[in-house]
Amino acid sequence: MTTRWIATGLSHDLPNGAVMAGQWQATELAVWRSATGKLAAWKDRCPHRGMRLSHGFVRGETLSCIYHGWVYGTDGGCKHIPAHPALTPPAAICAEGFACVEANGVLWLAPVGMAEDPPRLVDLRPVRTLSLTCDLATILGVEPALGGSDIIRGSVRIGGQDEEICLLVQPRPNGITFHALCSARADVVQVSRWLEALRRSAEEKVAA
Amino acid sequence: MIRLHDYVLSASCYKVRLMAALLGVRLDLEAVDFHPGRAHKSLAFRQLNPAGTLPVMVVDDLVLTESTAMLVYLARLAGPEWLGPGTPQASAQVQQWLAFSGRLAASLGLARLHDMLLYTGDIEALRRDGHLALRELESALTECRFAGHDWLVGTAPTIADIACFPNVALSQDGGVTLDPYPAIRLWSRRVRSLDRFVEMPGIHRLHELRPAPAEA
Repeated sequence: MTTRWIATGLSHDLPNGAVMAGQWQATELAVWRSATGKLAAWKDRCPHRGMRLSHGFVRGETLSCIYHGWVYGTDGGCKHIPAHPALTPPAAICAEGFACVEANGVLWLAPVGMAEDPPRLVDLRPVRTLSLTCDLATILGVEPALGGSDIIRGSVRIGGQDEEICLLVQPRPNGITFHALCSARADVVQVSRWLEALRRSAEEKVAA
Repeated sequence: MIRLHDYVLSASCYKVRLMAALLGVRLDLEAVDFHPGRAHKSLAFRQLNPAGTLPVMVVDDLVLTESTAMLVYLARLAGPEWLGPGTPQASAQVQQWLAFSGRLAASLGLARLHDMLLYTGDIEALRRDGHLALRELESALTECRFAGHDWLVGTAPTIADIACFPNVALSQDGGVTLDPYPAIRLWSRRVRSLDRFVEMPGIHRLHELRPAPAEA
């Protein structure tokens, strides 16, 4: 497995004060944004009892585990344990962090310490995230105008016009997820429906 | 007085309890031993509802056995804005979502009953149909986002949102994950953010909406 940035979502799907489940290759992560908009991503496992932190909730600049309410700051360190209110939690109680950055309306994840920045996507705007139960080769077979491996690009005919499409690939256990972007002038409703048609064609090809 | 024959773990019963809570309408709840007692299949209960299903709402001579009809009754009684804007298009869309909520119950709802309460059925087919329904909902909510709307019909929450919410929010009890559906996740947050929202086992409130409990 190579160390690289993988898109895990689109910015508009993670508002301030929210947490969601993300993934970097096979690693499940909790990705969250504080009340003031600060991003953080950790392994999706509370150091206390292993509950998924993506089931937790954001209060101000902290994320709380849904199970026993342990409170973590954006640096991953445990700040507070409700059952031991007088205790200052030791520094060893810490969620395992990942790098999470936002660029061009896309949320990117990588292990901590990546030297380079995530891919730059100029003149594109985010459309939507879409999950499919087929593999990438099937998609590329259905739409030969698209090409690539981590980042699929191509110019396709949508609503009588040639539109630039960019699909950021996130592998999943039972298929793939696309984070789709398109040229700024394209009609996002048309692009969204085109993506659904592509998914239907590809999945039906697998079923046939 | 509005009497609701109710079961706490039923998504359809919760649909009605949630709508009543949001409207500030008091229900007189009558707990039915659905599991393991199967009291909803007893002769006495089927005298009230021959179909032997829950919930059942009784208001004087009116007996309702479909949860979506109960939503209409409650909204007309206490909050007609929950019926939607009232244009031909919006009224039809509300009806469309009420019918769609039946498809959610027949897929996600039965998958949950299979996993939780030992119902028989083709679990893989139920989950597959559940995902197909969730994809439809996800697409509709995505197009709402493009249009700048937060809710299924119009610019405010309606009975359409309340009808669809319970079986979607409980889908993980039936082994159907919501991870692939970001628009549904945000819509679910909006429903749970509504003033006077109430919980049920499996659907918790947004703890962040209230201050942290004071330390002893």
